[in-house]
Amino acid sequence: MIHTQDKSSALGQGVLIFVYLTILTALEFFIAITFKSVSILIVVAVIKAALVMYYYMHIYKLNENSDDDTHSYAYKTGTNRLGLWLFLLSDTFVFAGLMAARINLLGFTRPPLNQLLGLAVTAVLLLSSFFMNRGETSMAHGDTKGFLNNIVITFFLGLGFLIGVVAVEWRLAAAEGLVASFGNPANGPMGGVFYIMTGMHAFHVFTGLIFLFVVWNNARKNIYSAEQHWGVEAVAVYWHFVDLVWIFFYPALYLIGKLIV
Amino acid sequence: MKKFFSTALARGLFWQLIGTLVGAGLVTGIRVLMGLSATDKFFFTEPAWVLGGFFGVLFFLAGNGSVSDWFKWARGIETPEHHEEQYTGWEKYLNVSLDHKVIGIQYTVTALLLICVGGLFALIFRTELAQSQLQFLKVDMKLFGQNGPELYNTLMSLHGMIMIVSILLGVAGIMNYVVPLLLGARDMAFPRLNAFSYWIAVPAAVLLLMSLVLGGFGTGWTGYPPLSARAPVGVQMFFLGVFTAGWSSILGALNVIVTVVRMRSKGMTAMRMPIFVWASVATSIIAMTATQLIGLSFQLVMFQRLFGMGFFDPAKGGNPVLFQHLFWFYSHPAVYVFVLPGLGVISELLPVFARKPLFGYRWVAMSSMGIALVGFLVWAHHMFTSGMNEYLRLPFMYSTLLVAIPTGVKFFSWVATIWKGKLTYPAAMLFVLGGIISFLLGGLTGPPNATVSVDLHLHDTYFIVGHFHDTIFGGFVFPFFAALYYWFPKATGRRMNEFWGKVHFWLMTPSFFVLTLGMMRIGLLGMRRRIVDYDPALNFDSTHLVLTIAGYLIGLAVLIFIINFFYSISHGEKAEGNVWNSRSPEWQVPSPMPTHNYDQPFEVVGEPYDYGLAGSKYVEFAKPEKSKNK
Amino acid sequence: MRHFVIVGILVLVTAVLTYVGLDVAGVATQMNPIEASAQSIPIDWLWNWEIMAICFLFALIIVPMAYSMLVFRRKQGDTTDAEHIEGNTTLEITWTVIPLFAVLALAYMGAYSLGETRRIDPNAMIIKVKGQQFVWTFEYPDTGIISTELHLPVDQQVLLKMESADVIHSFWVPEFRVKQDVVPGRVTEYRITPILVGSYKVRCAELCGASHAYMESPVIVDTRADYNSWIAEQVAIVAASQTPEGLGKLLTVKNGCIGCHSVDGTKMTGPTWFGLFGTKVDLADGSTVTADDAYVTESILDPKAKLVTGFAPVMPPFKLTDIEIANIIAYLKTLK
Repeated sequence: MIHTQDKSSALGQGVLIFVYLTILTALEFFIAITFKSVSILIVVAVIKAALVMYYYMHIYKLNENSDDDTHSYAYKTGTNRLGLWLFLLSDTFVFAGLMAARINLLGFTRPPLNQLLGLAVTAVLLLSSFFMNRGETSMAHGDTKGFLNNIVITFFLGLGFLIGVVAVEWRLAAAEGLVASFGNPANGPMGGVFYIMTGMHAFHVFTGLIFLFVVWNNARKNIYSAEQHWGVEAVAVYWHFVDLVWIFFYPALYLIGKLIV
Repeated sequence: MKKFFSTALARGLFWQLIGTLVGAGLVTGIRVLMGLSATDKFFFTEPAWVLGGFFGVLFFLAGNGSVSDWFKWARGIETPEHHEEQYTGWEKYLNVSLDHKVIGIQYTVTALLLICVGGLFALIFRTELAQSQLQFLKVDMKLFGQNGPELYNTLMSLHGMIMIVSILLGVAGIMNYVVPLLLGARDMAFPRLNAFSYWIAVPAAVLLLMSLVLGGFGTGWTGYPPLSARAPVGVQMFFLGVFTAGWSSILGALNVIVTVVRMRSKGMTAMRMPIFVWASVATSIIAMTATQLIGLSFQLVMFQRLFGMGFFDPAKGGNPVLFQHLFWFYSHPAVYVFVLPGLGVISELLPVFARKPLFGYRWVAMSSMGIALVGFLVWAHHMFTSGMNEYLRLPFMYSTLLVAIPTGVKFFSWVATIWKGKLTYPAAMLFVLGGIISFLLGGLTGPPNATVSVDLHLHDTYFIVGHFHDTIFGGFVFPFFAALYYWFPKATGRRMNEFWGKVHFWLMTPSFFVLTLGMMRIGLLGMRRRIVDYDPALNFDSTHLVLTIAGYLIGLAVLIFIINFFYSISHGEKAEGNVWNSRSPEWQVPSPMPTHNYDQPFEVVGEPYDYGLAGSKYVEFAKPEKSKNK
Repeated sequence: MRHFVIVGILVLVTAVLTYVGLDVAGVATQMNPIEASAQSIPIDWLWNWEIMAICFLFALIIVPMAYSMLVFRRKQGDTTDAEHIEGNTTLEITWTVIPLFAVLALAYMGAYSLGETRRIDPNAMIIKVKGQQFVWTFEYPDTGIISTELHLPVDQQVLLKMESADVIHSFWVPEFRVKQDVVPGRVTEYRITPILVGSYKVRCAELCGASHAYMESPVIVDTRADYNSWIAEQVAIVAASQTPEGLGKLLTVKNGCIGCHSVDGTKMTGPTWFGLFGTKVDLADGSTVTADDAYVTESILDPKAKLVTGFAPVMPPFKLTDIEIANIIAYLKTLK
């Protein structure tokens, strides 16, 4: 495989994108607590999503033409890549459906959630995406050791996100009365919407953690190389996809609209 | 018998039972610890049944071996690209195989079985409808915890959903068997995923049937809340079953798209693909994406029932109409999932039996894509009376009417294809022509439903019932039978009996038209859908009696087909050559198809349907000595 | 060329014959059943145009198809292929563009027809409709009448404001053509102008449960004079019903009780009330109970507490005051 970038510039690019994403996330938060413009929030989320899809998920690789030999690993990887992206496209419809339900049921109101905690879990997930990218870049340059180190960090950050949402945020939300009836005529089914959206996302994070464990375990057995590491690429793309979903769910749950108590 | 119990099917079903018990037991145990009631009307409580149903599916898949290769991959063990077949004869089809031809046949036979089950349900309630008043589904009867009218509602709902699942499986069956052969591929792009997609449909069918005995669900296949939020626990099994079957459809469709994009033979450009491949891609685009929304909408009702999340409960600020939007976002395009492959079969077979090129190949191919894309924008035409925002009605009327244009292109092209042809009429061709006529009736009765004001009268009546049976029979059932008669020799090396094939056709077709036209007639007069009994003052008794007789004749015709089908597998007339004198690549090699498809790769050197052009060829096989993977 | 001429003539003949046949069958110039509302006229007008288009398109496809099937059969012993005709772009464009205009015309007519059916009369009379499993209740706000029959004056636009107490129902009178779902949690509107005196039925068109088929109520379109006298009669009944029994009876109508409980001994979704009070009732758990004040009160407030054998636990609880329950009990005592 021919690398368009050497390792250090690839890693450097990852850092740069991470800095952009961090700035945009901070900007989002700032907008949400000051002049509350939904349209700007949407624009920021779309920019973040585009950055993640291009620089972290490498969507352009779908266009890569491998050699004519349809039995080569490279060709097979291209086929797998298309399959994975189509799967993610299909999965997007679930999240889009949830988003549509949220807009229909809650409109321009949002559940009583701690915005700082939301920012914290978002930062953790973003950071995990950053280390995922480092891990994948290491593997693409044949550095199994670097990959293993980064994937462990990714895993624990992901776990931290999961705990932050399920163990901390869900309890706090319950204390705010979101569970009690999962909705009331005045505010709509706010509890229902909050738990189904975060729950569906957390389920994807959970499966992502399993996949991370699988590739970590396999990498220890040295079955991946710079040329043949489709498993690693697949997990990376999936993990960034989970982050991508959160880029839209985070503002939808924590930032936009009027707070209803 | 002993052999049967060691097949993947039997093992899967056994593990599904165990999984159901484990899941239900787990919840029951937790409930006991929490001091909640352990049992309910149908032994387990509702949460227990739900987790049991879910575990059942997981255990089925883990137990029958369709995911074992993936578990090996997860442990870092490589598996061979193709497993050699361990089994022969019928055992091959009851075990996990990665061969797309075997999977295609598995799909097809499962679809036929489900068609029989769904048809049987239809005959039961059709019999009840033969006269006004209740004859045998009476109020004081009791079966599976349901009285007569409740049982009627359950059977009617299950007829809908089982037929839908059987159509999805039938579509997947034909696509699985035919698409790789038409492309010249060795198999689908993801053989394991392909096997998984099939096997996940089996526990789904079991769940659907379980809903019948667990109190049923009298909600119609649409499962609108709040009615479905109040239905017995059977509705949860129904939701789970549909959700599971949905995954079969999503993953199967994904596989088809990737196969078509990545595995075409040399020289097969987009505009030289057989027309059925175009139809398969169009269908798969819908099935792969929109299916998620029916899964989501049913999931939301499941959570509403289990945890009281009030998504669709007005008492909690929920919105019942939101469900309908999510539901129809899939369920309308789903209709195109059913019919596009069938229309593809019609376009594929007409040139063969007319000995003439398909008229306007590009237009027919693009019309499939056009229907698929417009299909995403029309869902709310099912909701003109639902109380949704009034301003949505006109745009959805306009988009719905637009569907008529690509559909019209197909009809005109078909007529132009047979015009001045040299037509022959084996059973396969009869079913193609029957399909066109039936789809024509279904298509022509569509615009009145699309125009809002007329639909205010027609909505939820037997007019709609007649209309969509016409479209589904024309778009799926007739072409499906045509495809089976046509490709049967390819799969078995024998052909089905022509005489009984014609009996099947001439018995089914007139009965079917009587059935649907009769339905439309009484629908206009005020016959509502989904009712167990009708007002005798409406004078529908004699019509309904005729409809019931027609229904039985269709049942008889299908029975004849089933017997012919299974008998011909071993006793049919030998047909190993190019029976239909087709240009298509799969007929250029002897039947039945070898395990790894074509021994020699082929290259596309011409147009697929150039019948009548002297010396032209569609494909050219490589010379054996040049071949390197022999 | 000869083929085209024959087919062209046959298409026209078939189209006309199909239309005439459908008209004889009563589904063309007027969609049966009879038109009983002003709204049905633009609907049937559009329907008629659609039937004409359908007949023409039906003939346009079916005639050349049948003609080809008969005339272009393969001759015995012929093994050659047919003429090599790949397609014709002009023809394809034609049969894309002409239908496009047809669709545009239909879209315009559809919008026009919908607009006509929604024509608003500012003086429309308002009637409240409540749908619940499995009964319709009609309330006339001007006079306070509550009825299970819908009486309407002819040639007067009425606006039904409809609510559902439980699941989705759909209000449909086939003779009026228009249909509207009745959705819990919101008020939907149904605007109709009856133009033909007669007796019709509203039939619930959205599956709403086991007895959905029987959710039908009379809709009677009266002359203005008859309507006024019906109103007067009802007002008199209400006035005369200021006794406990009378008020109780009105309550059972208003709350839809009589949708499931008969007062003449017929078996419906729930047990009949005829001769119920004071007798022994067999319960589903095998015990018996006397139908006294305490039992009736409990069965209204918490229907699932004591289930009568042979009946499904489908009744929702009703929040009624003590006085209202006492009135209903007084009414039950009269049913013998």
